Amino acid sequence: MKPLLFLATAVLAAQTAAPPSWKTLKYPPLRDPHIPEVTQFTLSNGMRVFLLENHELPVVSGFALVRTGNLFDPKEKIGLAGITGAVMRTGGAGGKTGDQLNEQLENIAASVESNIGETSARVSFSALKENSDEVLGLFKSVIAAPSFAEDKVDLAKTQEKSGIGRRNDDPGDIASREFNELLYGKTTPYGWRAEYATIDAIVREDLVEFHKRYFFPKNIMLAVYGDFDGAALRLRLEQVFGSWTAEQPPVPDFPKVEAEPRPGVFLATKDDVNQTSFYIGHLGGTLLDKDYPALEVMASVLGGSPFTSRLGSAIRVQRGYAYQIGADWGANYSHPGTFTIVGGTKSENTVPAVKTIREEVDKFIQGQPSAAELQSAKDKILNTFVFNFDNPSKTLSRLVSYEYFGYPKDFIFQYKTAVEKVSAADVQRVARQYLKPQNFTYVLAGKPADFGTPLTALSLPVTPIDLTIPEPKADVSAADEGSISQGKQLLQKMADAMGGAAKVAALKDYKVAYSVDMSGGSGTMKAKQTQLWMAPGTIRQENDLPFGKVVAYYDGAGGWIKLPQGDAPLSGPVLKQMQEQSFHDLVGLARSASIPARRVNYVGPGVIEITDGGLVTRLEIDEETGAPKRQMYQATGMGGPQQVEEIYGPLQEFGGFRLPAKSTVMQGGQKFAEATLASAEFDTGLTRAQLSAKP
Amino acid sequence: MRKSAAALWFVAAAWGQNLPEFEKKVTEFTLANGLHFIVLERHEAPVVSFHTYVDAGSVDDSNGRTGIAHMFEHMAFKGTETIGSKNIVLEKKALANIEAVYDQLEQERRKGTGADEKRMAELQAKLKDAISTANTYVDSELYTRIMEDNGAVGLNASTGVDQTQYFLSYPSNRLELWFLMEADRFRAPVFREFYKERDVVREEKRMRSESSPQGELVDAMLAAAFQGHPYKTSPAGFASDIENYRVEDAKKFRETYYVPGNLTIAIAGDVDPKEARRLAEKYFAPMPKGELPPPVITVEPKQNGERRVEIVSAAQPMLLIGYKRPQNTHPDDPVFDVIDGILSGGRTGTIYKELVEKRKLALAAASASSFPGGKYPNLYLVYALPNAGKTVKELELALGGLIENLKNVPVDETTLKRVKTKVRAGLIRQLASNGGLASQLTFYHVNYGNWRVMFQGVEDIEKVTAADVQRVAQTYFVDKAKTVAYHVKPPEEHHQH
Repeated sequence: MKPLLFLATAVLAAQTAAPPSWKTLKYPPLRDPHIPEVTQFTLSNGMRVFLLENHELPVVSGFALVRTGNLFDPKEKIGLAGITGAVMRTGGAGGKTGDQLNEQLENIAASVESNIGETSARVSFSALKENSDEVLGLFKSVIAAPSFAEDKVDLAKTQEKSGIGRRNDDPGDIASREFNELLYGKTTPYGWRAEYATIDAIVREDLVEFHKRYFFPKNIMLAVYGDFDGAALRLRLEQVFGSWTAEQPPVPDFPKVEAEPRPGVFLATKDDVNQTSFYIGHLGGTLLDKDYPALEVMASVLGGSPFTSRLGSAIRVQRGYAYQIGADWGANYSHPGTFTIVGGTKSENTVPAVKTIREEVDKFIQGQPSAAELQSAKDKILNTFVFNFDNPSKTLSRLVSYEYFGYPKDFIFQYKTAVEKVSAADVQRVARQYLKPQNFTYVLAGKPADFGTPLTALSLPVTPIDLTIPEPKADVSAADEGSISQGKQLLQKMADAMGGAAKVAALKDYKVAYSVDMSGGSGTMKAKQTQLWMAPGTIRQENDLPFGKVVAYYDGAGGWIKLPQGDAPLSGPVLKQMQEQSFHDLVGLARSASIPARRVNYVGPGVIEITDGGLVTRLEIDEETGAPKRQMYQATGMGGPQQVEEIYGPLQEFGGFRLPAKSTVMQGGQKFAEATLASAEFDTGLTRAQLSAKP
Repeated sequence: MRKSAAALWFVAAAWGQNLPEFEKKVTEFTLANGLHFIVLERHEAPVVSFHTYVDAGSVDDSNGRTGIAHMFEHMAFKGTETIGSKNIVLEKKALANIEAVYDQLEQERRKGTGADEKRMAELQAKLKDAISTANTYVDSELYTRIMEDNGAVGLNASTGVDQTQYFLSYPSNRLELWFLMEADRFRAPVFREFYKERDVVREEKRMRSESSPQGELVDAMLAAAFQGHPYKTSPAGFASDIENYRVEDAKKFRETYYVPGNLTIAIAGDVDPKEARRLAEKYFAPMPKGELPPPVITVEPKQNGERRVEIVSAAQPMLLIGYKRPQNTHPDDPVFDVIDGILSGGRTGTIYKELVEKRKLALAAASASSFPGGKYPNLYLVYALPNAGKTVKELELALGGLIENLKNVPVDETTLKRVKTKVRAGLIRQLASNGGLASQLTFYHVNYGNWRVMFQGVEDIEKVTAADVQRVAQTYFVDKAKTVAYHVKPPEEHHQH
């Protein structure tokens, strides 16, 4: 280093030259990127291979692209492809458990991963050069011989269901999901989504079948990149994969998109946010459309940048309505994508922001982009073109994608040439031809109470979106005359043990008080609970909780709940919970034989199943004494269904009847509460008015 | 297994030995005003990545001005005296007028209940006019437009607790354009459209924190874990502070913290270091040297008891557990990295194995060895999302069990070796990206005084023993230095049974 010289230069520079303007800068021509040659061949079993050597780093990586996708999910088992993709790897393969694979791979800092997306499956690997042989073997096992271990199938299903329970947490996710569903139609593979019931319907055998149908050599393209010798690798791949000769009929085409426009506003109410997320648009096209290059330029002028595009400038820069705003033509390889304007704005700006967007789109369609806008949009595409080649592996991935979807090899260069030729008139023409604002679907997720300007100001029909997550249908066991009569006998034995079947059946009302220790949430909590019950199933519950009193009433159809902060009619999950509580009441269940809507079925040693409409529970009863031992059922929770288990202690006498003095409630296998019976009174002459009186 | 581990050792060592080889591609120089450059040649493709690392972040925000580092970062895209104005003389006058009117409005507002409503309304209207007038001189967003039109990709900036970073990649023939624009924005920024951008920043806050239950939880966690040190406030700042920013606040922040000696720039890719040096002198040397900014003085007082935070939310819950740990220059830093690898590296990390796979308690669970930053004493963070039907309490117990295990049982050799192997391989994989390299070079230079620590740090991790892991776990993962934060349901959910 020669600091003195630098100092002198710096001083000189500072004194003499004012920095030149950006306008006067001249750029040297950009040297052409090197476009590497990809070697292609087919293995003896029909698997197509693409190789690209690169010796910069001692790493080898690759992926197999398999023609399948969640578009092939069976309607009643939506989620099957995704779960198959996950469990191919987690469930172990080639005689190794998932855990063994994890250890073996991570000990050498390598990876094998698999997933199945909408229009393809992808299994990938990465390894340091020295371990690449070892890892290729494991990679092949995951592709060709996954074990689908039962416990990992369960794990994947649990994870999927947790995801379903969380799907309404983020307003952006809600808007995006509902937008897709509206545009493609929720009865089509493009628009539907997994629910608890469709995940519950999936069993291991389904994964095995799905894998068998789509994973066969002729249906796979394999790409390998990195530090290897091409000739040696070719031999090695033949060794590893050649003996795998599974055959299946060719995989059919993906289903066609057939959807009608869904114009209007669709509103998802989410009261815990102060910002509205919006998705606005309609169906678009594919990359192969002859106008695709002009449409890309069009979308760029309209909303390509949150700062400088028409929408960015109007929404973010001029009005400060939004941090996020953009428009995207969104073309796909294989089926029409969605033209989408996406963003978020604070609740009270919702209507003005949507109005501004609509006005800007109209203005845009009516006019032509200025020469500067056109140039800018084209420059963005053309000047960033070199980044399609900044890493040689991109050339390999692109080539494989083109082959997979049947695109010309030089598609990217055709696209570049076409963009260069796009004129302002072209942009105007495609905007008029392809953008249909009258067909726009506007999906808004936010808190309408804070909108200020009401949505009616948009003069569009408003349809509320129901965000309720459908509960799974409970499993009900098969029954015959024998099992039903056996079930009734055991239930009668229980009723006898609880005070006599006839007495139980004739009971008109009762009142019980418990002291409850709860260990839910993140600490323990003591509570007192009083329950008043009237035949056939009206209940009133009073709970003294540390934060105040909660009282709820349910009459078999509806009711109310009173919280410290106010009262409300029962609705949604809370209504569901009260309905369930009325049904799962042990005394009420003991009366089931006399209730026509109920079915009592013997399903195993000491276990009966009682069903009533959609409600199901299982009771375990001591076959000797008739004492109830356990009740097991699925209950409604805010975060989705929960497995509940009530474990009953010994029966104790209370006013001529016998009830468990203690019961323990388990949720999801963990202790949730312990209830100790303090008092119980029967046939005290309770009236409906007493039960329904608000405190 | 033994064989492959040995082979890997050889590869990694080869790269370690190749530090001199790597060094050949690196040119470093410091301008007379103190601005440091690191240039890395990688001529694989005609592209180049730029990374400017400012050693100032939200820890340098002041009271009542939280988030101002972030606000300045936004203003750094608003243009300069030579970029973005239709008439700089008139524009400057109009901008000064906005401030004068705003001052009067503030004065009136400060009278509190004695403020004259009518005068306030007049001044509000005047302010609106003044802003409209100034806007007529703006060539809106020209600064960003120039970058985008010239082929910038990955164009963005970020403000963290410790640092602010500006980064992008260009086709390599745009080298001089980058120098011109980057120097201009730090030397002569014009704070145009400030109050509109303030709304945008407020909107960003809404999106990232107020409408996000998880963002809200993280904010609450930091506020509980730190009582004095500025890590207590997220880089977004408080909503009320954002709504009251003035141009002067952002100006002052720049003058104090954006001095050349506080900036480090890395350029990686298809670049000739001689040319880079020439252009650095040409464009950055005119930046006046300035005084180095003051350090953060407040040291977080010792925590002496567990802290718990609840956030009521109808959304699905999340659990965060943080233990106090020292800054990243502390000798125990590599041990925390190893612990992080043991607990949450890939599919073999014990948190994933136990909580996600084996016990199916968590939908996702992981850890972070330094949070929210690393320059000052911070937190070792563990976080998890319970599966449907599982509670935060169960997760907390389970995570606590894993932490206890670290203290009581020495980690086995296979696991320790695996973690170290992954760190080495991770370094090799990093070497393939211009942008990633530029970012790493500046990070190590600023935080450890030398970019070579990027390689040497791997050696430090290699030296960590099972006993170190146990000692560090026993020393730091104690209840009295712990903060726990989680969501609870609104009251009706307790009604469940």
